Amino acid sequence: MATVIPVDEFINDEWYPGFKPGYTHAPWYIDPVQTFRKEDEENFWFLDFHWPRGLTPMGLIWNEDGYNWSSQLAAEQMPLPPGRGITCRLGGTHTYGSPLPVTDVREIGQRARRLERMLPPFLQNFDEIWGHMREEVNESWDYFHGVDLSALSLADLRENLIQARQYHKRAFEIHFQVMYPLLANYVGFYSMCTELGLDPGQIGKFLQGYDTKIMETDRELWKLTSAARRAGLEQVFAAHEPDGIRAALAAHGGAASTWLTQFDDFLQVYGWRTEGSCDVALPSWIEDPTPALGTIKTFLLKDTDHDFEAARNAAAEEREAAVDAARSTLTLEEQKLFDGGLASCRAANFPWWQDDHNYYIDLRIALPMRWACQGIADRIGADHQDDTLYLFWEEIMDVSAGRRPYDAGLRSLVEQRKQYFDYWLKRRPTLPKVVGTIPESVNDPILIEIFGLNSHFLRAVEAASSGSQVKTLTGVPASKGTGRGIARVLHNADELHRLSPGEVLVCESTSPNWTPAFAKIAACVCDGGGTLSHAAIVGREYGVPTVTAVGLATMVISDGDEVEVDGTAGRVTVLKQIPNAQG
Amino acid sequence: MPPAIAWMDEVAPEQAVSVCGAKMGRLAELLRAGVSLPRGFTVTVEAFRRHWDQAGLDEVADAALGGLGAEAGPAEIEAAAGAVRAELAGRDLGADLAALIGDAYEELSSRCFEINVPTAVRSSAIGEDSGTASFAGIFDTYLGVSGQDRVLDAVRQCWASLFNTRAVAYRLRAGTHHRDMPMAVGVVELIHARASGVAFSVHPVTGKTDRVVIETSWGWGEAVVQGLVTPDHVEVGKADGRVLKYQVADKTVVSAFDYAVGRVVETEMPARLVSRRVLDEEQIAAITDAVLAVERHYGYPVDVEWVLDRHRREGEPVCVVQARPVTVTAPQTAPTEWNPAAMAAKYVFGR
Repeated sequence: MATVIPVDEFINDEWYPGFKPGYTHAPWYIDPVQTFRKEDEENFWFLDFHWPRGLTPMGLIWNEDGYNWSSQLAAEQMPLPPGRGITCRLGGTHTYGSPLPVTDVREIGQRARRLERMLPPFLQNFDEIWGHMREEVNESWDYFHGVDLSALSLADLRENLIQARQYHKRAFEIHFQVMYPLLANYVGFYSMCTELGLDPGQIGKFLQGYDTKIMETDRELWKLTSAARRAGLEQVFAAHEPDGIRAALAAHGGAASTWLTQFDDFLQVYGWRTEGSCDVALPSWIEDPTPALGTIKTFLLKDTDHDFEAARNAAAEEREAAVDAARSTLTLEEQKLFDGGLASCRAANFPWWQDDHNYYIDLRIALPMRWACQGIADRIGADHQDDTLYLFWEEIMDVSAGRRPYDAGLRSLVEQRKQYFDYWLKRRPTLPKVVGTIPESVNDPILIEIFGLNSHFLRAVEAASSGSQVKTLTGVPASKGTGRGIARVLHNADELHRLSPGEVLVCESTSPNWTPAFAKIAACVCDGGGTLSHAAIVGREYGVPTVTAVGLATMVISDGDEVEVDGTAGRVTVLKQIPNAQG
Repeated sequence: MPPAIAWMDEVAPEQAVSVCGAKMGRLAELLRAGVSLPRGFTVTVEAFRRHWDQAGLDEVADAALGGLGAEAGPAEIEAAAGAVRAELAGRDLGADLAALIGDAYEELSSRCFEINVPTAVRSSAIGEDSGTASFAGIFDTYLGVSGQDRVLDAVRQCWASLFNTRAVAYRLRAGTHHRDMPMAVGVVELIHARASGVAFSVHPVTGKTDRVVIETSWGWGEAVVQGLVTPDHVEVGKADGRVLKYQVADKTVVSAFDYAVGRVVETEMPARLVSRRVLDEEQIAAITDAVLAVERHYGYPVDVEWVLDRHRREGEPVCVVQARPVTVTAPQTAPTEWNPAAMAAKYVFGR
């Protein structure tokens, strides 16, 4: 009997107060964004970790243009044999994703043959292909970056928003067109290595040590940290919470002012990025530099500066040593296979791209839409610059075209929707991680590697929903070593201040704004992810034992439990449960 | 009349199995293929038949076993089989046969330049590991048997093991008659084992044909073969002889020679040997050479039992004491070139 988790609590027709979906404003490729219906229970849905706060109405554009257009389109163009990409349903403001299966055996066979013809040239020519795509994305970025929105009329702002959405959509077409083939190749290589008896904890190392734009940003942050230390500003950073540091530095004057100038120069180059990914509701560092200042504050807690050159050389050395060690355990026949796979994965390096593309796409591509929305808010006299993010696309189109006034009715709807957003934000920690019918296995490479929906995850979900006592959880061994401590179950980065040194971070998933926490935690456990998710990479970099794709860690482990994390074996054990916590 | 005794280096290879039984017959074949073996002779199938007939054991066996059906229980089988064993081991051997075996033993001792050479006495029944039925480990083996009387006794125990409970039960289930698997017995010099073990020319679990798998422990091989000890595990690439993997196990039991008893017995491993690595690279290479020579000779995957002589010098071959075809799952057809779509199909999309 398959395990079925009911969807009833999410069945209603409303996305947000005052809006019924009409499906007229956003094309989809295979299946549209919808609210849950009872028949969705036959499929498998997982809570998407990308938006731990939920999405505003304007934010739902990502679901429409990302999953339900771009992922589905990409899965047809370079076909995934058994899958048509990802679709989603809404649990309030939260997104549940699901793979769209192909069931016709004959069609699967034809798609497999198409893939067999199309995949090798894509991988071999990846550098050139990605180079052209990056050029395209950058060219348009320069365009949007260069527009002076303050000089535009409302009608022109509307036009700019439409263009910005088109740019955003095109960027995610590119995103999935690259991600699927790279991941298919990487997961194939990873699985083959596992079958060859290689240590899963080592496989991630084979492809590490290549520079990315994200690493470049980190390096600059470390330079700023050294500069702050040299200028004697440690006390100012130490004495203030991140959101108060800028004002404190300005008030400090002298060396602090010089440093702030340096910092602003840094922001002009690296600050055009959001903290989380793919969300128009998130500000850039330029708009709100708190995350960057918070990171520098954490870096200052370390006694010595981070030697990037040494770290990169060490990573490259570790890579070569890991490859040599792996090859020495393989027969000549196996080495030939391994070398072929490794060469293919290096020519089209998923781990590298996974980091690099965030800079060009996920962390900045929604900013032009955000600026246009804010410009429109300004022009229509909204109470707050972000209020237009609580309008749906049709509404903002009507308002900016002058077809509908931004009147008391819409203003009150915006307020109700903010409350609706907050209501669902509070519900997030208790939302089911998965709903619907738990499958035997999942065969979409994105769901396997990015979301960690491997057999461990699926069996953990089944075990938990059958009510059996789970004391030991398993997942992907992402960063080696063993750590033990009190568990802090956090649901978003706002709660990071609750972490004390030596505690174990337990969360759905981490993103770049969680990085500072790794300087102090004993271990990290994530519900989702794989060997290359953010937590895995940062865990290895900071030497923090990390297990990803555990499935239900945030539900099974209670805040305050004592846990042991074995990042080498991929095992998490609850040693002592805090009293009165449900298991 | 066929001989009662057959020397390993004299029996014709094409007759070896029918004269000497499966185990000893195959060893005789391998000797001609250039594999290094212990010196020894076989008390032939003919000798067994002669004793069986002289002692009139047909009647005994028919009376005891005739009533057993395929569904007979263990207690019932043991009662019947025990009666046959007692007669088989107890009845007078006859002066001729006893003298022939005793004389062969003295000859073996002199060939080994030793008085009362310690021997391995091994059952070698016809058909004991044919393609369809494997009696591996069911029949008796005695290590370290020394002196004419003890050797004679061990030979009779091996004969009797044809009627141990497991063998009788196995034949009942398989519908095989004991007359179709007469029991020869090998008597070979006991190699003074530094270490022993088994070697497979194919991975016994995964079926991978690109490697040799070796399992080994200190002393004689009984503890390894009977699974009494967790052995060191070694994998060697066939194409280039490179050691791919060497897992040192905690070996807590050893088969060692007990001079008081005059036998190889299982005893506690001395502490300083428990976690010490057994084989060095040169020894691994010699074992690999031996198992591959056997595989080449037969043309199919094999497993061998081998012994590393205490007096063996670098460059000398290891001694093979048993060889048989491996019964593994169908060999897998491994891909030979990286094919991204095929790998994705296998590992991502296939399941």
